[in-house]
Amino acid sequence: MLYREEAPKYAKGAGQVVALQTQALRKVFTVKRKDAGLAGSFRSLLKPSWEEKVAVRSIDLTVQRGEMVAFLGPNGAGKSTTIKMLTGILHPSSGEAKVLGCTPWREREKLAFRIGAVFGQKSQLWYHLPPIDTFDLISRIYELDRADYHARRDDLIERFELGPYLHTPVRKLSLGERMRCEIAVSFLHRPQLLFLDEPTIGLDVVVKQRIRELIREVNRDEGTTVFLTSHDAGDMEELCSRAVVIHHGGILLDAPVDRLKREVLNRKIISLTLAAGYDASMLPPLPGTEVIAGEGRRLKLGVDLAVTDIEAVLGTVIGTYRLDDVTVEDPPMEEIIAHIYGTGG
Amino acid sequence: MGSRVFGDRLELLSARSKKAGAVARITMKQQMAYKTDFIMRASFMLMILYVFVQLWSAAYDGDAGRVINGFTLKQIIWYLVFTEAITMGVPALCGLIENEVKNGDIAIRLIRPLSYIGYHYAAYLSEAVFRFYIHLAVGGAIAWLCVGPPTFGLGWAGLFSLTLGALTIAFLLNMIVALCALWVEETRGMEFVLHKLQFTVGGMLLPLDLMPEPLQRVCAWLPFQAMLYFPARTAVNFGAAPLLQQFVIQAAWIAVLAAAVMLMYRRGVSKLHVNGG
Repeated sequence: MLYREEAPKYAKGAGQVVALQTQALRKVFTVKRKDAGLAGSFRSLLKPSWEEKVAVRSIDLTVQRGEMVAFLGPNGAGKSTTIKMLTGILHPSSGEAKVLGCTPWREREKLAFRIGAVFGQKSQLWYHLPPIDTFDLISRIYELDRADYHARRDDLIERFELGPYLHTPVRKLSLGERMRCEIAVSFLHRPQLLFLDEPTIGLDVVVKQRIRELIREVNRDEGTTVFLTSHDAGDMEELCSRAVVIHHGGILLDAPVDRLKREVLNRKIISLTLAAGYDASMLPPLPGTEVIAGEGRRLKLGVDLAVTDIEAVLGTVIGTYRLDDVTVEDPPMEEIIAHIYGTGG
Repeated sequence: MGSRVFGDRLELLSARSKKAGAVARITMKQQMAYKTDFIMRASFMLMILYVFVQLWSAAYDGDAGRVINGFTLKQIIWYLVFTEAITMGVPALCGLIENEVKNGDIAIRLIRPLSYIGYHYAAYLSEAVFRFYIHLAVGGAIAWLCVGPPTFGLGWAGLFSLTLGALTIAFLLNMIVALCALWVEETRGMEFVLHKLQFTVGGMLLPLDLMPEPLQRVCAWLPFQAMLYFPARTAVNFGAAPLLQQFVIQAAWIAVLAAAVMLMYRRGVSKLHVNGG
């Protein structure tokens, strides 16, 4: 790990307790190795060779109740594998973990009553049936009292604005509508700890925003601990107070989001679609701004927020060109990680 | 103390039954969406039964009164209806589990306070019973037209009472193959062999009584007869073998196979490699 903020102190007497804690958590998969081509396939059939793939090298982490922690990293960093170990789906190769006082892989069913999970790329809704049927099934599986279930369901339907499509088969819902249902279902049994694995993947900006608001609201109202993995830095910025960045299966950085924003996430990408072709000579010099790409009607600018701000750059660009479209994005996670390495943490 | 433990166990059993009931209900609802699948299967059954009616009619020389190894033509055709209804009622569990392991959907099952095997058993039974009755109705209609009504009296009670055990044995056999997906990449080969064993030594195509004596002795030691032969033979020839004895054999196989399933699941899940996201 290149950088780590002082480990969070357990506020004795302040009513804060640990939601989850891991110690040297490690997961190694054994993967069959196959050479390319038909001959390689035959060789693999006759003499299979295996190699070890370290998905999670060693994770030491403590999350307190009520915290909203972002667990970030590029694809293949070990985020999902860590979540799967913490929910009891995967057994670690070594190391320890306690989630709400339970060892997840030994007490999976007991722990399941107290946690919730949403896997952005996997649906827990029954594809041919309307979401209301999944709500009912989940209420039975979590042994909810009927009156409590109905009250809770109605509350979630109102908060997540699910009313219009509660009786529409899931296969006919848009991705955004489905994700709202997925997250609402995961809140049904009032989990103390919610694992969100890429909850905003594939969603457009407006839906992403709405889902973030809803997660924030439930955390605020019910004190639900949220452990969120994402490769979208925006999820972290808008939801979490603490960020843990992992890379190659180990923790690279563990710091408050404010500090991360100040020191690492101080760059934005502005993507523009111009009404006419891009002419570099028309653009006046902009301090803290670099042209990443400019071709045809497309223009991409990198903005250093420590030097300038988005409004100033956009003001100049709007004064120079006629625009068809503008998007402001965070740099990709790979760039953030490269930046962390570059600054030594 | 003892009564409290008993009370706790009863409560746990009641909670598990309610969960299983909920899984069974939603599976049944989902089944209603597969109308085309049912029509296709029913048409296939119609074709199979038509072929076998022709074959067996030729074997019996079209003589309705002739008896071969204790079976009349009518009994043989109805026997086929029952074995086909059970066989075609069994959902494709191996492919389902293999896909869950391969695409990582198993994660969705394992985050619930519910036994993974128990979940699949509840879903399987709901689907299997529903399909069994549909195929029984379709097959029964064809057999009725070809060889006359099923006047089997208590045989019906034998059929329905042994079918639950038969479907459970089919579930456990399929689950054993399906759980191999936790170790090997492909289970289709094993599934193919399992199905062919059901067809032959399970007595799907013809009653074990018509097989050579040495083969019958081998079949008596295999679980496949308890899956197809027991319920179908009891239905068409009630009293040919003690019902209680068949229940005991089914129960014994269920105990052995369930133990194997639990052992495989516990070993396999600890080395699970969930793919994707």
